[in-house]
Amino acid sequence: MDVNDQDIIKKDILPFLSHDIKAIMLNMKNEYFRGMEEIRLRCGQPLAVRIGDQDYTLDRGGRVEKNLSLGYRVSAEDIYRSIASISDNSIYAFEEEIGRGFITIPGGHRVGLAGQIVLKGPEVRTIKDFSGLAFRIAREVKDCAHSIIGYIYPRELEPINTLVISAPRCGKTTILRDVARSLSLGTRWARGCNVVVVDERSELAGTYQGRAQMDVGPRTDVLDSCPKARGMIMAIRSLSPHVLITDEIGRREDIEAIEECVNAGVAVITSVHARSIEEVQKRPLLGELLASDAFANLIVLSRRCGPGTIEQVVRRDALCCG
Amino acid sequence: MLWVKTLGVVLVMAGFGSYGLLGANSLEKRVEQIRNVRLAMGFLEKEINYLHTPLPLAFSRSAQCVQEPARSLFENCSQSLQDRQGITISEVWGQSLVKIRGLSDLNNEDFEILQLVSSQIGMSGTEEQNRLFAMIQEQLIIQEGQARREAEAGHKLRAYGGFIVGAAIVLLLI
Repeated sequence: MDVNDQDIIKKDILPFLSHDIKAIMLNMKNEYFRGMEEIRLRCGQPLAVRIGDQDYTLDRGGRVEKNLSLGYRVSAEDIYRSIASISDNSIYAFEEEIGRGFITIPGGHRVGLAGQIVLKGPEVRTIKDFSGLAFRIAREVKDCAHSIIGYIYPRELEPINTLVISAPRCGKTTILRDVARSLSLGTRWARGCNVVVVDERSELAGTYQGRAQMDVGPRTDVLDSCPKARGMIMAIRSLSPHVLITDEIGRREDIEAIEECVNAGVAVITSVHARSIEEVQKRPLLGELLASDAFANLIVLSRRCGPGTIEQVVRRDALCCG
Repeated sequence: MLWVKTLGVVLVMAGFGSYGLLGANSLEKRVEQIRNVRLAMGFLEKEINYLHTPLPLAFSRSAQCVQEPARSLFENCSQSLQDRQGITISEVWGQSLVKIRGLSDLNNEDFEILQLVSSQIGMSGTEEQNRLFAMIQEQLIIQEGQARREAEAGHKLRAYGGFIVGAAIVLLLI
């Protein structure tokens, strides 16, 4: 990993926490910052951190405990102060993001929000009386897609439609981000190409105030907070991409948009939640898509040797690479 | 001895007269300052409701367009929020009001209305912000009207009253 987790968390995350929680986290031993994936604040519940696959809590002195009952209890004021910090004391300026359930903070980290949902018709208008915050620490792992990029962008050929199959928290977003960067930058054997990232949940590029916080490459355009299906069609019409990258497909309109893109000569690289190819085949819409041979590459990820473990690569056509 | 008495008379008259004039001036300034605060809240409301500008920037932009004491109030708020010391807008607003209290001619009632802003400013959606500003504007309009009436009624009284009280004291002492 070419990043210093401790620096990232101290610089990007801690300034947004309440004084008390910030002090607790600063007292924590530095070794625990490594591999930290989430910090969770739930009103009246112990402060929780997820390091690797384990949940821990921290007591007032910053000691890391496995027994959650020993942890510092998060107060309503901690939540209020944290949300005030995250929103720059300007909830009204983040209404759209709050309506989607999360706010992206500088560095591309996402803060998930829990509280009382306010509906306007069938749509979620906003959330009020916040009761929980989940800080998900975004990491950029450059070259993590190195071993699969040859399958996606074979020597002297165009990029190939690829579906990344992964259970949650197996690193698919990090891999897709690196794929976007690599294709945009070009590889040793292939030139860089125009990439459009349709980032419905601001996870791939971690866009904050219109700027991608993650390196997605020099030839990449980002359609931030844009519904996937609409974004893919918009991109084809206006941004002339060679490759479209998007995350977590599943709805009917996503599938239709992918078929549109594939038939328009644009390569689509996307991901889906599943643990295996068989699981994808069992899902009605995705099963049909798979059967239509829209994707030439299927890449299965797991956490067996840590996030981003390439479990299986299936090439469904004769193309291969060096 | 005559010149000492004359000097005393002049000093007493000047002292009470000045006090009266200052009081009269303060009444007029209060009207002007409430009007400025009202205008300032209008600018802030537009930044929030139409442009969705985050508060630190909204305060600093609005401060450019308004006069004292609203300018100092907004500049203080903007600066404190930009420092990102984990302080909430409610605390920042309260502290900034305390800072401008000595510099303005607003009275306790005016400050109580301004204190109401701290309860919700920034920390709710656009609709709620709209309602907050509408309420504050209404109350400030009432305060401005009342201040104007007080200024009209009290201006002459204070301006001349100082000299009259001074003269009365001089007469009593002589």
